[in-house]
Amino acid sequence: MNSKNPVIVAKNLTKKYGNLTAVDGISFEIHEGECFGFLGPNGAGKTTTIRMIHCVSPITSGTVTVLGKPSHIDNREIKLITGVIPQEINLDPDLTVYENLMIFAKFFDIPHIESKKRVNELIDFVELESKRNSKIDELSTGMKRRLLVARALLNNPKLIIADEPTTGLDPQARHLIWERLRSLKSRGTTLLLTTQYMEEAEQLCDRLMVMHQGRILKEGSPRQLISDEIGREVVEIRIAKEEDEKLIAQMADLACGHERVGDTLYFYCRDGHELMKKIVDFNLPNVLNRPATLEDVFLKLTGRSLIE
Amino acid sequence: MNLSYRIYYVFYRNLISYKRFVLTTFVVSLGQPLFYLITFGIGMGAYMGYFGGKPYLNFLVPGVLVSSVMLSSTFECLYGTFVKVTYQKLFDSLIATPVSAEDAIAGEVAWGAFRGLISGSLMLVVATFMHVYPVSIVNVLLLLVLMVFIGILFGSLAMIVTSFAPNFDFFNYYTELIITPMLFFSGVFFPLDRFPGWMKFFAKFLPLTHAVNISRSAFSGEPSPGLALDFLYIILLESAAFYIGIKLMKRRLIK
Repeated sequence: MNSKNPVIVAKNLTKKYGNLTAVDGISFEIHEGECFGFLGPNGAGKTTTIRMIHCVSPITSGTVTVLGKPSHIDNREIKLITGVIPQEINLDPDLTVYENLMIFAKFFDIPHIESKKRVNELIDFVELESKRNSKIDELSTGMKRRLLVARALLNNPKLIIADEPTTGLDPQARHLIWERLRSLKSRGTTLLLTTQYMEEAEQLCDRLMVMHQGRILKEGSPRQLISDEIGREVVEIRIAKEEDEKLIAQMADLACGHERVGDTLYFYCRDGHELMKKIVDFNLPNVLNRPATLEDVFLKLTGRSLIE
Repeated sequence: MNLSYRIYYVFYRNLISYKRFVLTTFVVSLGQPLFYLITFGIGMGAYMGYFGGKPYLNFLVPGVLVSSVMLSSTFECLYGTFVKVTYQKLFDSLIATPVSAEDAIAGEVAWGAFRGLISGSLMLVVATFMHVYPVSIVNVLLLLVLMVFIGILFGSLAMIVTSFAPNFDFFNYYTELIITPMLFFSGVFFPLDRFPGWMKFFAKFLPLTHAVNISRSAFSGEPSPGLALDFLYIILLESAAFYIGIKLMKRRLIK
């Protein structure tokens, strides 16, 4: 599925705001036609990284190229072939849905007749026909996000950058956005996605990297990351901390990883079956055996404590 | 300076949104200058009698007209731009397209100048009804060109202020301490002849003084001495303000 043509190549990409290092010398490659995810808590540097890629934030040091062209603040060529779905809803509140798209098409030098056709198609694509002449503040959050998707597609982009595109949406609206993004991917568009939702990353991404404090912690496919970091299954046991030592010693021969967080002891296993059998013997209450998820990887890598 | 023809797109975006506010802005931009014309021109003019051989209103109109251009372009590039930058996040979406930050800012200044041109032109129509108008069609054209220059000048100056304004209240410093006093020091309401030396000297630095001179010449058809220097001063100040305004505003937009 993935031809290995690199669309984005970053080398030692760094961004500093005064003394604060927001992105700390990261290197990665994103290939043509894949969906690549940046996963990380708030302040991990995801948005800063994508802002450098699509030429709206100056690079402190290192390089990043898009289809061989170096990103820098004045590179209109990269902006011309990139569609951006921003995290913050920045639609034009003085204009209607239709006008928003028509004006934006102008910014990309799309001729008027062509714009009309494309705008109509895109309004269909994101199911906003009935809101065509509505002002932006008459739209629900889900509709606004859909309009942002349509706006990002006006220039038939080769690369789509979606920065937390489903923040604040109800499940229906979220699934609609996912479905639209998948359909773009199936047409061969390269997709770069940042998200804090593990389900979103699992639904959409071929590969992803987990970022934390401006660095890349791990990179790989969702499945590979889960199996490398966690195993296949997780057993959660809610017991008092004092019991840990005894319990862990009992399980030593099963080769499971373990971690204590708050009121819960986690075991990460290839096969949870043997562990469960033993646990049944102990007759413990509050035990949960479940498949490992990306969320476990995320929390293990970025820590389970709150990040402000 | 990464400027391109896309300045026009930003201008066009404002034009499209403007059609919804056009009538209210007519009222607003006519209000204050008209108030000056009526109170000073007719009320005070009745006491002043003739002024340099003509009614006081003839003295007053050219100055009030350029002041209305100044006020409109100033307010547009203060409040109008500030709203677009901070509340509407409009500039964030603009600079993610092939429109550069410089294009976007220059487009705003052009828009401010256009708003000034509209205000000035409305004043011209009102003044014509009061039987005060430039002596010839050529002078009308000259006046329109002057309005564009003043609009760009004060739009750019306002852009500099907006580039470091933390909030709306900040604009009061600029409008109350610089723009309003400028109205009274630039020979809009009375000639500067009887100012003491240092005040005359000070007035020469105010761009509005020069704009008023040119405007008055356009109305009377009698070129005042130093007309070329008036234009030169405005153009030089305007180029500097335009350049600095774009540089500073870009620093606010791009981080």
